[in-house]
Amino acid sequence: MLLRLDKVQRHFGGVRAVDGVTLDVEKGAIQGLIGPNGAGKTTLVNVITGYVPFQAGIAWLESDQLTGLPAHRVAGLGIARTFQNIRLFKDLSAAENVIVGMHSRRRDDTLAQLGTLPAFRRDHRSRVNEAHRLMEVAGLDPGEVGHRPAGTLPYGDQRRLEIARALALQPRLLILDEPAAGMNPSEKQGIRELIERLNQDGLTILLIDHDMQLVMGVCTRVAVLNFGRKIADGTPQEVSTDPGVIKAYLGTGSEREVTSAPGATGVEEVAEEVRAAAATKRSAEPATAILEVRDLSISYGSVNAVRGASLRIAAGEVVALIGANGAGKTTILSALSGLIRPSSGIAVFDGLDLTTAKPSAIVRHGLAHVPEGREILGRQTVLENLELATWARRDRAAATADIATVMKRFPILAERKNMRAGTLSGGEAQMLAIARGLLAKPRLLLLDEPSLGLAPQMVDEVFAAIEEIHRDGTTILLVEQNALRALGIADRAYVLETGQILLSGSGDDLLHNPAVRRAYLGG
Amino acid sequence: MGQQILNAIFIGSIYALFAVGYTLVFGVLDILNLAHSAVFMLGAAVTYSIVVNHGQSFWLACALAIVVAALMGLVIEYVCLRPLRRRRAPPISALISTIGLALIIVAAVEQGRPGTLFAWLWVDGANSVSLPPGTFPNPTWNVAGLTLEGTKLAIIPITIALMLLLGYVMRYTQVGRGLRAVAENPRAARLMGIDVDRMISLTLVISSALGGLAGILFGVALGDISPYIGRDSVEVRGLAVIVLGGMGSIPGAVLGGYLLGAIEVLAVVLLGSNVRAGVAFAALFLMLVLRPQGLFGAQLRERI
Amino acid sequence: MDFLIQLFTDPVGFWSSHTLLISQIAINSILASSMFVVLYSGQLSLAAPGFMAVGAYTAVLMSLYLHTPLAVNIAAGTALAGAAGVVVGLPVLRLRGVFLAIATIGFIEALSLGVILNLPITGEGLGLKNPDADPVGGIYPVLISMAVVVFFLWRLTKGRLGYAWTAIRQDELAALSQGIDVPRYKLIAFVLSAVLAGYAGGLESHLNFFVDPNEYGVPRTVQVLTFAVLGGSGNVIGPVVGALFLTTLPFVFQQAGDYIGVVSGVILILVIIFRPQGIIGRGGFAFVRPRWWPRPQVSAPSTG
Repeated sequence: MLLRLDKVQRHFGGVRAVDGVTLDVEKGAIQGLIGPNGAGKTTLVNVITGYVPFQAGIAWLESDQLTGLPAHRVAGLGIARTFQNIRLFKDLSAAENVIVGMHSRRRDDTLAQLGTLPAFRRDHRSRVNEAHRLMEVAGLDPGEVGHRPAGTLPYGDQRRLEIARALALQPRLLILDEPAAGMNPSEKQGIRELIERLNQDGLTILLIDHDMQLVMGVCTRVAVLNFGRKIADGTPQEVSTDPGVIKAYLGTGSEREVTSAPGATGVEEVAEEVRAAAATKRSAEPATAILEVRDLSISYGSVNAVRGASLRIAAGEVVALIGANGAGKTTILSALSGLIRPSSGIAVFDGLDLTTAKPSAIVRHGLAHVPEGREILGRQTVLENLELATWARRDRAAATADIATVMKRFPILAERKNMRAGTLSGGEAQMLAIARGLLAKPRLLLLDEPSLGLAPQMVDEVFAAIEEIHRDGTTILLVEQNALRALGIADRAYVLETGQILLSGSGDDLLHNPAVRRAYLGG
Repeated sequence: MGQQILNAIFIGSIYALFAVGYTLVFGVLDILNLAHSAVFMLGAAVTYSIVVNHGQSFWLACALAIVVAALMGLVIEYVCLRPLRRRRAPPISALISTIGLALIIVAAVEQGRPGTLFAWLWVDGANSVSLPPGTFPNPTWNVAGLTLEGTKLAIIPITIALMLLLGYVMRYTQVGRGLRAVAENPRAARLMGIDVDRMISLTLVISSALGGLAGILFGVALGDISPYIGRDSVEVRGLAVIVLGGMGSIPGAVLGGYLLGAIEVLAVVLLGSNVRAGVAFAALFLMLVLRPQGLFGAQLRERI
Repeated sequence: MDFLIQLFTDPVGFWSSHTLLISQIAINSILASSMFVVLYSGQLSLAAPGFMAVGAYTAVLMSLYLHTPLAVNIAAGTALAGAAGVVVGLPVLRLRGVFLAIATIGFIEALSLGVILNLPITGEGLGLKNPDADPVGGIYPVLISMAVVVFFLWRLTKGRLGYAWTAIRQDELAALSQGIDVPRYKLIAFVLSAVLAGYAGGLESHLNFFVDPNEYGVPRTVQVLTFAVLGGSGNVIGPVVGALFLTTLPFVFQQAGDYIGVVSGVILILVIIFRPQGIIGRGGFAFVRPRWWPRPQVSAPSTG
């Protein structure tokens, strides 16, 4: 055994982020660690690597105890990691990033610096050569990217560079936290090959990722976390057909029979004819649309998050936008509400150009965005949050009446109206966030992952509320990880994968589309 | 002893008023506005200039001085802060740009003289002056062995009234809630339709008006108006106050102001007047080491 | 303009008539380098003048009372400043961004007000007279020191230590993941900066016949900070350029006469707005970023 975790625990306030997790990782294995959002995977990694203290439980790396060690000591023992959000030293060149990684293997050379210049140059060159070698191992071209500031590299290269830097530690265990997030299938294939190559050279790897296909394809064993607990641990085959795992990913409402974990097969893999058939049956896009998006492209620095997406929404529709994590769904919504600016393309909402208008103007025009992660104002009371939601409105009397109406629709808010919003549970906070969105009296409501991190029962309540809102005539654009529920209530849907719209059709059509079923619904 | 207590309350009020401006900006923008002490000084200087050089009534001078201070807030936002935000500059640059503006303001007052560029702002070069007696009412009483000066006394209810007003505005008005929303989560605020840029401008205006008012009260009651009163009397003490009270917390700033006033007076009584301010900073240092968020501030934690 | 003209047409004459200025530039460069070390490791420490004072007073007092040779005095001052660096640096290791800045301001003010201005041995408010000073001859050791310091720091930034500091500055958490003992390296930077500042203080105290107690407060720290940020703290030469630029500014702009304060302020604002990374800029700061401050380069949004 290389890594042994024994009943590791970590709470934050009332949330059991990691709840008694026991896990063994064999030397030479590629261990997968998966679970829905908020399951505790990254927290577990943070505890193991010393960023967050253990509250209970022990961890060993072979014969070295990890419990209680600060992060730099854990790294010194030989556990290297990459980060979910890429933490490169952005202003340093790629090679310099890797050289920093050599820190713990390098002797202190302060005095050498001042004395013998030529000797130092030799040392430095050997370090640079080693950095280049590691970059090559990670699949980068040192000649091309070695000297460029890490922050300017293309996204895929940045991920690889983080891996190269981690390798500089000469680790016994490499922890990869979502190394393939936001990549297209061919880039993912490259990462997969890299992982296999590193493993063949003898490196033990712990892989966290949302891409089922990647995880099931490359790992020798997979462990599944949900709400901080380990709910499955076995071979990829065993885990992907485990009913508990399937339920965790799909939640309730899955009356249909499912045969494997969603995402275990990619949309691409399904036979071409099936996809083509699905495409022709697509529900026609409306002739008149209140929201029109054409060829929208959005980038973050060097990452092309969204490439040429187009969609249309007619008044009164519920349109769902589904796709894997990192596909770009949230990015599109943020561009529509004015939080970020697209690099090209058109987005018009009832005559207002969304690509140039200020967010406050967009809200006034009737588009409300309920963001992923809810973003409520924890320090203010529920009532204050609601009152703030009517900020943009001029009609004070009607606004007050609406607050009363919304509290009737979500009685839990009326109950807790004078409590600080930060004390609400996940589901209650989601209700508040939706209520807040409604109070702007939107004609178009953007809902980003409303069921994220909610227990199945709360998910039911949230979706019931969404249906009600729809019945009252509000147009809704819904982004959801829970594809089953989303397709269940949507009139039409679009499937987004790595920034591009791949399929579109009526909710029902897509629900029955084999490609979509295998990719997002577990068959 | 009683006299000392009165002094503590009086000076504490000035610190509190000044610090509230500091903390307001920090709470909303997470930066230290180092031009704040210059605006403090400007309040006093403008008042003096209008009364002495232009022969207007004291009350008119005060009103105008506050307006000038408030406008300075807009200058700070448009000249020092917004351009840096637009350029995504590192936060430390805001320190430098506000320092630059402070330099300009102090130099302008220093150089104000008839016939020069800043003639209208003429105080008395680098010297310290005070308003001539009779400019404003200042009754004095002797009660139970204590000397009570009208002006110093008046500061207390003014400060309290303003703090209550500010508290009310922040808690119960739409504007106040909007400011708090921006302070807590600008992204959420944007999504609710709040114009964040405008809120920021408003924050600077309120903060600078308060700072200018504090300067007027200081200059008037203490009879000490010079280009350096900001730098010498309140700039660093203001930092001590917001650290003690918690950065970004208004009640903290108020409490911190009085706390600092009390600490200073206590130090004078116990250790002699020389050690006075030194003790204040020792207290500041201790607070930062033991409890960086101060009395009422929020915990800082970086997410990984 | 005459100033610059003389520089180019009559360098020798320039040298002899501006000895003190050149020495001051060198001293300021060493101070700026001290600032460079802490900024390079991501710490906004404003404690330099405090350590300067330790170096200056120790050196002069030893000269006055112990009559030890100059080199010994300055060495002692430097060493003592380093020790003070450990004492101050340890408790503030956890503090980041403005909190560290304020704590260090607290330190220098406490030192200034509590010690320098109050102990009879330091001459209290009148300062110390230093009959051993050598304004003319002093220029040589000072210039040599500056060259040595800059060379030393330059080599340091190329070595393991420099890489560790840069990593810490960019991203402390990522630095930890690479096995870098962040608290230890931050302390090393802090103490080194104290040593350099103490050394500069010792040197400066022997250029003038008088040690001025008012030289070690907030205005000095603002000045040194400005050298570093304006020059650009991404590499060693930046702060030196900043020191050179700002120290000579009043001479170059002699025409501005009394308005030099205004001119300086305007230049400060313009430079920082149009070149937020400094005159010789490269590399960013990993201070605690305000939540709303837009990130300059963003990778893919979180999907976990």
